[in-house]
Amino acid sequence: MITNNLERDTATVMVLGGGVAGMRAAIDLAEAGIRVKLVESSHGLGGRVAQLGFMFPTHDCVLCRGTSDHGYGCTRPSISPAFLEHNLHPNIQVWTNTQVLDATGEAGDFTITLRRFPRYVDPDRCTNCGRCAEVCPIEKPRGFEAGLATRRAAYKIAPRAIPDAYVIDRGPYCADCRRCEQVCPTRAIDLNEPVHDEDAHVDAIILAVGHQLYDPRHSEEFGYGRFANVITSMEYERLASRSGPTEGIVTRPSDGAAPKRIAWLQCIGSRDQSHPYCSSICCMYATKEAMLAKQRIPGVECRIFMMDERAFNKEYNAYVHQAREKYAIGFTRCRLSSLKEDPQTRDLIAQYVAEDGARRQDTFDMVVLSVGMEPPAQATAVAKRLGIHLNAYGFCETDKFAPLQTNRPGVFVCGAFQSPKEIAESIIDASGAAAEAMRLLSTKIGHAPRSREYPFLACNGEFPPERDVAPEAPRAAVFVCACGDAISQVVNTDALTAFAERLPNVSHAEQVSYLCLPEGHARLRRAVAERGVNRVVVAACSHRTHESLFQRVIREAALNPNLLEMANIREHCAWAHRHDPAGATRKAQELVRIAVARAAKLAPVYKDRLAPVPRALVIGGGVSGLTAALAIADGGFEVALVERGDTLGGHLNNLYFTAEGGNPQRLLRDLVNRIVGHDRIRVLTRSEVVEHRGHVGAFRSVIATRVKGLAKPTQSIVEHGVTIVATGGQEARGSEYLLGKDPRAMTQQQLEEKLVHLPEQIVALKQIVIIQCVQRPGAPDYCSRVCCTNTMKNATRIKMLNPNCEVVVLFKNIITYGFREQYYSEARRRGVLFVRYTEETQPRLEIIDTHGARKEPSALRPDDVYFTSLQVRVREPVLNEELIWHPDLLVVSTQVVPSDGTQHLAEILRVPLSSEGFFMEAHLKMRPMDFMEEGIFIAGMAHYPKFIEESIAHALSAAGRAIAILSQEPLFYGGVVAQVDQAKCVACLTCTRTCPFGIPRIDPVAVGNGNIVGAAWIDPAKCQGCGTCTGECPATAIQLVNYRDEQVMLRETAGLGAWVTA
Amino acid sequence: MSNNGNGFEPDITAFGCIFCGYMAADTAGTLGWEYPANVKYVKLPCTGKIDIRYILAAFEQGADGAYVVACPLGNCHHVKGNERGKKRVERAKKILDQVGVGGERLEMFFLSGGQGKSFANAAQTMVERVKKMGPNPVKRKA
Repeated sequence: MITNNLERDTATVMVLGGGVAGMRAAIDLAEAGIRVKLVESSHGLGGRVAQLGFMFPTHDCVLCRGTSDHGYGCTRPSISPAFLEHNLHPNIQVWTNTQVLDATGEAGDFTITLRRFPRYVDPDRCTNCGRCAEVCPIEKPRGFEAGLATRRAAYKIAPRAIPDAYVIDRGPYCADCRRCEQVCPTRAIDLNEPVHDEDAHVDAIILAVGHQLYDPRHSEEFGYGRFANVITSMEYERLASRSGPTEGIVTRPSDGAAPKRIAWLQCIGSRDQSHPYCSSICCMYATKEAMLAKQRIPGVECRIFMMDERAFNKEYNAYVHQAREKYAIGFTRCRLSSLKEDPQTRDLIAQYVAEDGARRQDTFDMVVLSVGMEPPAQATAVAKRLGIHLNAYGFCETDKFAPLQTNRPGVFVCGAFQSPKEIAESIIDASGAAAEAMRLLSTKIGHAPRSREYPFLACNGEFPPERDVAPEAPRAAVFVCACGDAISQVVNTDALTAFAERLPNVSHAEQVSYLCLPEGHARLRRAVAERGVNRVVVAACSHRTHESLFQRVIREAALNPNLLEMANIREHCAWAHRHDPAGATRKAQELVRIAVARAAKLAPVYKDRLAPVPRALVIGGGVSGLTAALAIADGGFEVALVERGDTLGGHLNNLYFTAEGGNPQRLLRDLVNRIVGHDRIRVLTRSEVVEHRGHVGAFRSVIATRVKGLAKPTQSIVEHGVTIVATGGQEARGSEYLLGKDPRAMTQQQLEEKLVHLPEQIVALKQIVIIQCVQRPGAPDYCSRVCCTNTMKNATRIKMLNPNCEVVVLFKNIITYGFREQYYSEARRRGVLFVRYTEETQPRLEIIDTHGARKEPSALRPDDVYFTSLQVRVREPVLNEELIWHPDLLVVSTQVVPSDGTQHLAEILRVPLSSEGFFMEAHLKMRPMDFMEEGIFIAGMAHYPKFIEESIAHALSAAGRAIAILSQEPLFYGGVVAQVDQAKCVACLTCTRTCPFGIPRIDPVAVGNGNIVGAAWIDPAKCQGCGTCTGECPATAIQLVNYRDEQVMLRETAGLGAWVTA
Repeated sequence: MSNNGNGFEPDITAFGCIFCGYMAADTAGTLGWEYPANVKYVKLPCTGKIDIRYILAAFEQGADGAYVVACPLGNCHHVKGNERGKKRVERAKKILDQVGVGGERLEMFFLSGGQGKSFANAAQTMVERVKKMGPNPVKRKA
């Protein structure tokens, strides 16, 4: 049957869930020219992340770093300016208050039945004046503030909610007084708005429905809900957030006092009978919350009660170390069983067994429950309606080797619904799921509009040709928006309009009641068209929310969008000086005066454009490189895959089984066969990148290939639009614990080889000791993520082959995060013995000869294996006794380190490395697959140690970002960037030192001041537009477009310092 | 309003970035945190763009006080533009001291976009401080 979908030229993907993952997936798809319906069940976008004040380990609040586009503001609860109403990507349609009722059809042709519940407020007409909330008689706890503040039934979920509009909560408590409807000045409220069902035809579905937090009322022993000073971690987040109800002041709920002793209890709703998995994020967020307390509350004491310290990502180990050393936060290894409350002081009393085995009692004046992640409440319903399977824990079921695919083709999953995970991994998943959808819809990539010079596109087709205003003298039109009376009830807008009319260069001024509504746009366009004005000044609300709207409107009237200047007379004036109308009016006049002065100095801004070379360079032929190469090639673009070794596959060549039971060799064969047979992929083995130049869309690399029989490698040139770095990592092979010196000592990888190829040797063994967390002396301390689960996998396999063999694991922390916890349980169930050691009680290895005498390892001869035995000693802290074993085999879990040559490659690519020596991404949380430099991406173990499924997701995410760039026709760059007047440049290197991104370079060919060769050059494709260099250039040779000195300093009008005389 | 004497109302210029700083000002308005109306916000792409010449120009042109509103340290949209800005503000303070205007007339605040109340407090603090100091001496001469 030929359906509409096959005939449709453009593809549409429905993204279900508007949290950070759903938003990221939507942006990536939209950029690649695929339409997106972003469906969210609540009133606004942002999900859980919108509620967080700070992210570990950087304490960033800035979600604005989620994308590299130049836009306005930390746009919480968005991840990007791209979601601000008027900046919204034209390919994205946001449906809030919407639920899925049914899904029929198949990949490429789904029909989804959606039910849109009314919000009773039309976001397009809501001006956020707040009248409805003022008259509403109903008061309810504010969900966004975790109930720590109240709201009315007519309310805005958060100050910067998206959609940026109020909503009416018509729950059973609504008094139905209809006062909100009557008072609304723009008639945006319709209390009779019906529930609306509609069908959507989409090609693919991405599930990003997230998680919910465990409700600690179910754990009555901790008294949440009964003891006033026991709060959840989310409540703490809101208290500590600068945008929270207290602007970041943490106080005790019972009396409002500053807490002096705070305890965090870990694993509330994780790693227990009813939640046999680890929520993966709580150890880190509790550490963060304790650090915030230490930074803000002088003298506060913080204690975290935890079972294991799970800090298993980049920079996390250093973060926890800092918490312990610098902030003196106490970490106690213990799971509390209950809390008591002192009824007088409302303090909380904790009894526990300390690490030394002694019983202790401690009093805290506040206790934070680190609640875990559960599958979202709607998971079962969504699964049923979409026909997808859930796993034993109620999260979405996925295959290890296809981590972002559900059982139903065409339905993909990302974020915490796949398994508990943090922001960075949710973002990785999201871009990866977008890549999976792009691969499915490869013939339609780029069919919807995708290249944007500005945040907006024309509403109907094309913009008219731009009018050239260069020869004209500035003629400005000033529009004063009364915003109904939201502005005019404080600011005298009549006087303001009259004032504006008299200003120099102003040829027209008028007052409009709502400039943001379609009626207002029409008046703006008419004025530009009929009065011949060439500058537009809008005195209304915030740049942040409305600049791109008015830019679009004047562009429709044939003016360059940059010829608009806004004066914020609402948030910065009428609303901030409500009780000072005269002062507010004077300030409004001053703001309009300088806006007009600046408008006269404005010039059109154009971006540069290029057609990207439709080819990706992928460096590294392991699972990540292969996955990324296939996804990009399947998406319709060429790939040059460069591998240093003789064969493809990387570490998959050494992996034979996984904890989950999959066969990596099958994955390896599958990937290699598909790569070799792909007509868009060119494989260059025995090859290395020796030179990498250019910028996004136009890179040029030199590849050196070793050829048998030739002394020197042959060189070839590859031109490419993007680069993906997937050079992987490797198991450290040191000489600790006799590694490499005694055949009885081996690494995990060597053990796996033995388990697979020589199982008969395992059967003969009586005792095996496995030591975790073994580092080379002086190596940076970090968690390699994969070793604990690997140990569980191998220990379980040993027990399966030889149940009588005693297996002892010596560990510091067991880090089996997410669903991997089950392998830890399984290993214990099979009788594997776990013994903790600490930094101070490292296990000691000795060699004992047949007489019981110690032998120096250096004196060991090859056949001593038969005449000596190994002896491992460790002091067990609880028993306070030295334990001794004589294992037949000693297995050492060594660190995963970056591949050899990582540093050299980083120099060639001019990208940074992390403190652990891995490649350093643009941002730890929000941009985990991007380098700061546009067009270069990172995938897999080159970023940090990872499991196969994590490497696959990371590689897909890099591929998704790469496809979004490669499909731009044209690719826009530059715009508001710094420009060097080389004739003034003395090549003093100040800019190269000042730039936060290291972008300015000295062009050795350019001629600078005094005809001296060598002058600074700033690549417009790389410049981030902050202007930091311009403020320090001693020769004032650098100017930032749109913020040139004359445009900022406004000397003639003294706009920086003088004020209008009222 | 550069009247001398007790009725002195200072004219103050607030430089700030279009990220946290501008948003903090928006939040102050949205949540109705009021502050004196004699502070005007001059937007820059980042406080790393602040230039000592801009600060001095503001005083030359007649501002009685000026301050810079940046993202919190460590949270700059441009990674460390605000740290550069901070150094320049410190240098500008010294220059203002040397030329007799008074470095106290210049300040820098680090605010997140959600801190509307703190934005209002910063404005209040500066207005009060500059009121005590009296009008900008450069303006008085002119």
